[in-house]
Amino acid sequence: MAKRISVVVSQSPSKNPAKRKLEEDIVAGLLFENGIDVTIVPNLYDIKPDSTGMLALRQISGNLVVISWLFERAAHWILDRNAIHGRVGEVLLKNDDEEEEAWEEDQDSEAADHKDRVIDSRTIPNRKIYCLDLKITNRAQEFIDEVKRIHNENAVQIVGLGDIIKSVPPQPNGFAGLNGATASAVERMSSPTNDTALSLEGNGLDQPSVVNRIEDTGGRRWYPVIDYSRCTNCMECIDFCLFGVYGVDAVDTILVEQPDNCRKGCPACSRVCPENAIMFPQHKTPAIAGSSEAVASLKIDLSQLFGAPAEGRSAEELAALERDEQLIAAGREAVGLTVGMPRRQEQRDTEPKDDLDDLVDELNDLDI
Amino acid sequence: MIHESSKSDSNLTFMMGEFEAEFPDDRRYARNHMWAQAANDDPSKIRFGFTAYAVRLLQDVYFLDWMLDAPSSLAESQEIGSIESKKAESALYAPGSGQLVQFNHTLMEDPSAINTDKYGAGWLFEMQIQQSDFLTARQYLELLAEVWDRTQRTIKGQLNE
Repeated sequence: MAKRISVVVSQSPSKNPAKRKLEEDIVAGLLFENGIDVTIVPNLYDIKPDSTGMLALRQISGNLVVISWLFERAAHWILDRNAIHGRVGEVLLKNDDEEEEAWEEDQDSEAADHKDRVIDSRTIPNRKIYCLDLKITNRAQEFIDEVKRIHNENAVQIVGLGDIIKSVPPQPNGFAGLNGATASAVERMSSPTNDTALSLEGNGLDQPSVVNRIEDTGGRRWYPVIDYSRCTNCMECIDFCLFGVYGVDAVDTILVEQPDNCRKGCPACSRVCPENAIMFPQHKTPAIAGSSEAVASLKIDLSQLFGAPAEGRSAEELAALERDEQLIAAGREAVGLTVGMPRRQEQRDTEPKDDLDDLVDELNDLDI
Repeated sequence: MIHESSKSDSNLTFMMGEFEAEFPDDRRYARNHMWAQAANDDPSKIRFGFTAYAVRLLQDVYFLDWMLDAPSSLAESQEIGSIESKKAESALYAPGSGQLVQFNHTLMEDPSAINTDKYGAGWLFEMQIQQSDFLTARQYLELLAEVWDRTQRTIKGQLNE
């Protein structure tokens, strides 16, 4: 029995007809696939936690495929913040080989440095969330094929399909046969002669797709999203942000408590995060928006012609400047580098100890 | 390359290759390719929009996003938003320092007026600004003549990547 799978398509806030067409082509393609439910929502990042859209997403159980214009990490952790938890499902439709290497490197370095990540202390439900990034290709078929692959992957885990299945021709309703059923048995079961037979519909078998379209007119939002597979709960963000965006939960883990206190356009806290765990999914810099590596845009960047200032500041200086701009805009005093800057001294603990450090440790240990 | 347009007494024309970009001389111009026009009732309240030069480079505009809410104080060259078009994307910067009064809200739902009526309904935002060093149409065209080669190199350089 193939399990049904839910696919969420998160629309772009842009009016770009090419983007809208790609979204609609994917939905249209999935309509022909049995066992797939499609929910179309506005831009996932903009949906408010208490809105119809997010409530609908929370009601979805089982494995989930999310197709959005957001980077995979951003989509995953936006859902997580909205109490839609799951394991990262492995997606094969990726940017290219380099991205795969980048992910692997990430994981290698995480394994090597033995830092405790917030995710290590959490129990994650045994459901998978597969995030597909619409920026990867403009061919709808590649997304449709990847959804089918994910659907099959999950179906195969549940049902041990015997060789005999191969000899059973697919039925008109897409019902391919139960474990070991012969062609004639399948034929009898799918065309019952009495009205007491269990309906093939409604028991999780391969029904046609259901499409649910949710309109939400909430306007655009701007707030940080924490990747808890990177976050070490170091609290530098809560020290740095002077607008009360961050808070802690019942077990003193950092969280984005008041997302709408965030200052539109300001990504400063993500620049001071030592683990690059804070994303602003709508920021134009891919590294801040949640990319695992910088992805070159296909479009011409006119920023230099339209007045971009010259680059050349450190991340901390830039963060302090951005924060000062927001403080002044909010009618408060600029603080520059004096408040809540990363405590670089503490970073030293992570450096390998040298002989002098060992000597100092020995002196400390001496019970004099 | 700079012509007095025959179509209207008040327009100057700059040839971007084959394309005739027109610039009305009833307003001033900022170096970041925005026009600036003072409100009738308040000469310090200035409305800004993209010039024909900017719109020609962008072509069909799909998406406009502002990073802040009005009212807000702006520093010159402060990044204030971004734009995406059929051919290009760019961050947008404040043309001068002052107080941002309002954005053109109709463009948030449908930015197409930037293409169809760039010098009118396609205006971008209004600022309270005490600044008099914006360029005249003629000075702006001289600036375009200076930067046109560099603009073409920028575009071609990126296309060849």
